[in-house]
Amino acid sequence: MRLFQGVARNTDMMGAAAITWEGRVGVESEVARLRRGDLDALSGLIARYQNRLYRYLLRMVRQPAEAEDLFQQTWLRLAERIRHYDSNRSFEAWLFTLARNLAIDHLRRIRPESLDEPVSGDAQGETAAARLASNAPPVIEGIFEQERSGRLAGALETLPVVYREVLTLRFEEEMKLEEIAQVLGAPLSTVKSRLRRSLDQLRDCLEMRYPGENWQ
Amino acid sequence: MSEHDEIRELLSLAAAGALDSGEEERVTRHIRSCALCSSALDDWRLIAGGLRRLPTPQPSRGVVERARAMAEVRFGEEAEHRWNRNVMIFLVAFAWVLTLLSWPVVRLVSEGLQGLLDPRFNQAWIGFATLTTLGWLGGGVAAVLLSVRQRRERRLA
Repeated sequence: MRLFQGVARNTDMMGAAAITWEGRVGVESEVARLRRGDLDALSGLIARYQNRLYRYLLRMVRQPAEAEDLFQQTWLRLAERIRHYDSNRSFEAWLFTLARNLAIDHLRRIRPESLDEPVSGDAQGETAAARLASNAPPVIEGIFEQERSGRLAGALETLPVVYREVLTLRFEEEMKLEEIAQVLGAPLSTVKSRLRRSLDQLRDCLEMRYPGENWQ
Repeated sequence: MSEHDEIRELLSLAAAGALDSGEEERVTRHIRSCALCSSALDDWRLIAGGLRRLPTPQPSRGVVERARAMAEVRFGEEAEHRWNRNVMIFLVAFAWVLTLLSWPVVRLVSEGLQGLLDPRFNQAWIGFATLTTLGWLGGGVAAVLLSVRQRRERRLA
């Protein structure tokens, strides 16, 4: 039985690796076409990354209107800079770096304090992230899961931007640590310590807001 | 710091899949014999799993379409800008070559090789070249200033 599970896991891993490889080849070919001036490739890249990019920006700035504006600016910046993209680097990391720089500039301009301080507010109050999470399709058997997601998203939103972004890049975007380091422009050791501190803060926040809550 | 304390520090990263193979092996070995750390790792995995399952907010279709349209326009502008720049570089180089060649050639044709080698002509030619360089530099600075202004206006728009 254990052997079977091992084989199944290996098959899953091979399948996932094949999908990742196919995805990467697809992205590279679309980027190459875009650099040659094929605008269909731009549509393909937007379709591929629209949700992930928007989610990342929303986690960074928390306001949907600002995230939408930054989403548009990111694609404009891509149109301007695509010729400077080094195809030896991960396109995904490069795209998220463009988005990150725009978001950081935006936060520095609009809410400079948000770059270093945690957000204060009513611990039990509903946050924008919690509202977003609660907009998920209502499925009866998923109500408790949805509620927990809302609480987790709410707690995530109270963290400083540097912690929010590392958590979203690792868990939601499922980036490797090396890719996160590229996006943040920081060494791997910094990424690891930032990830650990962000998880510690998230847990502390959850324990403070929902004492005795079982996350199982 | 005891082994137990060191492992506890690593548990959150273990749940995040962010340990190297050596650290991962240490954690696996330790939690086999430590119920406390095993339970703590389960808690971290729940939080990590919850984060991975957070719903994905989606941009509205209008925003995506607007982004696509704006990026396409910008892409066209960038291509046009590159084309204009290349044409300008070609024209400037062509004009320079034409300007610098025309005078000696005219002199050569009208007065022969001796006229071309006349030292008085060389001095006049240097003066002419200096004036032309200054003229071109002035034109170049004006073109750069105009381009900077145009870029700024485009960014503000």
